[in-house]
Amino acid sequence: MITVNGIRNAFWCAIAFGIVACASAPPPVDKLAVAKSSIERAEQAQAAQFAQVELNSARNKLAAAQAAADKHDADVAARLADQADVDAQLAESTARAKQQEQLVTEMDASLRDLRNETLRDNSGSAAPQPSAQPVPQQP
Amino acid sequence: MKRNHTKRSVVAVAVASALLGLGACETTPDSSALLEQARGAVTQAEANPNVTKYAPTELDRARKLLVNAESSAKEKGANDKIAAHYAYLTTQMARIAEQRAQEQSAMARIKAGETERQQILLSAREHEANQAVAQAQAAQADAQQLRSQATQAQAEAQRLAAQLENVQASQTSRGLVLTLDDVLFDTGKAQLKPGAQRSIDQIAAFLNENPDRRVQVEGFTDSRGADDYNLELSQSRADAVAMAIIKRGIDAQRVRALGYGEQFPVASNTNDGSRQLNRRVEIIVSNGDAAIPSRAAGAP
Repeated sequence: MITVNGIRNAFWCAIAFGIVACASAPPPVDKLAVAKSSIERAEQAQAAQFAQVELNSARNKLAAAQAAADKHDADVAARLADQADVDAQLAESTARAKQQEQLVTEMDASLRDLRNETLRDNSGSAAPQPSAQPVPQQP
Repeated sequence: MKRNHTKRSVVAVAVASALLGLGACETTPDSSALLEQARGAVTQAEANPNVTKYAPTELDRARKLLVNAESSAKEKGANDKIAAHYAYLTTQMARIAEQRAQEQSAMARIKAGETERQQILLSAREHEANQAVAQAQAAQADAQQLRSQATQAQAEAQRLAAQLENVQASQTSRGLVLTLDDVLFDTGKAQLKPGAQRSIDQIAAFLNENPDRRVQVEGFTDSRGADDYNLELSQSRADAVAMAIIKRGIDAQRVRALGYGEQFPVASNTNDGSRQLNRRVEIIVSNGDAAIPSRAAGAP
């Protein structure tokens, strides 16, 4: 049997539960700002090109954190902001690592060319390479 | 009826509030799986020597986050959302450490590569410099040899000049110049006097001994008389000397005769003495097989 009193109790319980769940702490403005600036650093490191998955995760979590903060879910907002922050840091460091690896690959290739070139110069002076003879043009 | 309606709306609000409360919290994650993943990530990062070398700070952060995750799980149970949260942060931080280490080690390789590039370029330059030095030394040796050859040639020519009678010899840039006096010819004649024969003999003998040398015979007169006549007389006298040399077995290709008339005087033509100096035949002996340079502008 549901009495009016019982319903009223249930109502207050639900409200209390909601308040507890949402926590009454102030919104984590600092953490949101930190995550935002980490995402900006990742973007500057060309994470959109080199670490798209991590950057997207960071952006989505920051948006979710902002939404939670708007609903006064400070704890959830804080955790999501923290996760957005590490995701952005991972995006940045991954992008940087990939770009440096690319530079290493390019450098290896150019060193190989340079070694071949100087090797040829050093040993090839005695034996000149066959010069390209102009081939008479046939009409 | 009205009461019933009120009751229903109260229930709806209660349910909505409860749902709101649940919605605000994340769905309860499986923190034990996340914890397992976090431990694995930290172990992997610790095993990477580049991480301990280049990203110790990030690795330290990952370890501390893992401690938080473990203690939270211990305190509040495996399904605690805080434990799951720290486990996630741990995994990401361990990955950050690895990426950071990879970036730093790549930068170190680039730096080492730059050093290697410099060394390759340096050794290539040293090689070139050594080659240049070797070439310079070879060129110097060649020049030395040429000088000694020239000195030898000059000495031979001087010996020849010393043997000749009625002949003055001087070394010029064109070669050794032997000047035959006009006493070798009668006035107005192009016939060599018998006294000239001995000098011609010696010149021919020298040319036989030095088959690479050539001579150019040049005739000159003083300024008296018509230009045409002087030109012809000087040519005839040069021809006579050249013929005399050729008759002694010297190839005509090696002997050239030119008449310059009264051009290129060596004295003033104002008195008998100076005029006599201008009446002359010069024999220029080549330096080795080098071509004899022609006289300056005005020469035919």
